[in-house]
Amino acid sequence: MFGFFNKKYDNPALLEEMKTRQERWFAFLDKLEARMQELTTAAIPGLREIFDQDADPYKRAHSNMLQGLLGQINHMRQKANDIKDEQIIDFVYQAEAMVPAVTSTVGRDYHNRIMNFRMACLNRHYIFDEKLNKCIQRLQLAAGERDLERAYQEQLRAFESIRDKFSCRQCGGNITIEKMFFIDTYVTCPFCHSQNTFSPSTGARMILHDARALAEQRTAHLRRAYEKSDPREPELEKVYLRAMIDEWNKIIPDMAEENEKFYQRLLREQYFHHFK
Amino acid sequence: MAEEKDNKLSSYLERLKQQAATQQHYGGDITPEEAKMDMRDCPACGAGRAFEKGLTSCAYCGFVFMDIKLTDGVNIKKENNS
Repeated sequence: MFGFFNKKYDNPALLEEMKTRQERWFAFLDKLEARMQELTTAAIPGLREIFDQDADPYKRAHSNMLQGLLGQINHMRQKANDIKDEQIIDFVYQAEAMVPAVTSTVGRDYHNRIMNFRMACLNRHYIFDEKLNKCIQRLQLAAGERDLERAYQEQLRAFESIRDKFSCRQCGGNITIEKMFFIDTYVTCPFCHSQNTFSPSTGARMILHDARALAEQRTAHLRRAYEKSDPREPELEKVYLRAMIDEWNKIIPDMAEENEKFYQRLLREQYFHHFK
Repeated sequence: MAEEKDNKLSSYLERLKQQAATQQHYGGDITPEEAKMDMRDCPACGAGRAFEKGLTSCAYCGFVFMDIKLTDGVNIKKENNS
């Protein structure tokens, strides 16, 4: 009636601002990505080296370095998130409040432009995030897998060679250790029935610690088969988990009952992962 | 310029590696130990711990090795109470 809604609205400054903001955002992420890739590529040989040199059974020196690098990468993620909130999201809300209502023709045009700006920026951020996750994965997998099978076989041989070599501390009678223990255990002397305490070597204790990782290494082909299926096949995961738990029980037979409970829990969790 | 940046990055990585290698581990270093057999004699009368009579007190003089009541575990069972 008064021509309010047909009034021409033009805001070239806003369009210009959106364009420069988008360019700056893209350039910022490009730079950050370049730095991230550079850091990852440069760090991988060092990570491998420290992993090979690390004499600690838990590889804690390697873990320290890995955590340092992941901290750097996550700092970049935090920085990108902060800039996104400050420069993109806040700006989008401000701009939307400034232009005419979305119900008017000219308002709709401007809202569409703002929407396009927002989607372009967020999509670019999504790509950045994906690349960042890839970098994290590359760092985590850089050291490669330990040869746990060899360590396990070594310990089995070591145990075979020492199992008859102990004697009772009370009467001096020979004690043969019936099976491999991974924790301190009471062993009864067959002659005087005194309780001796058998302490396994550090290497044997590590078997208990690494048993699951070893079982996973032995059944890696089944896990890969499951991960390759697209969409992921719950039945294949079940096959993998069963085989993994069986291998684990073979290594540590004492824990079979507890492992079985763990298996049941993993199956229950499957329902959440494969919810359809 | 690019060279300088490279240097900065490699020196940073070198420092990180040094620090990771020399940093003290939480809980201390692990010293590899051999398997060994040990025994706790009764400090009161010198007798060995007898299996049949349980693990919590000395079968000969009644010295109490442990105050707790044992429950079923992987290697130790309830029957091992004195």
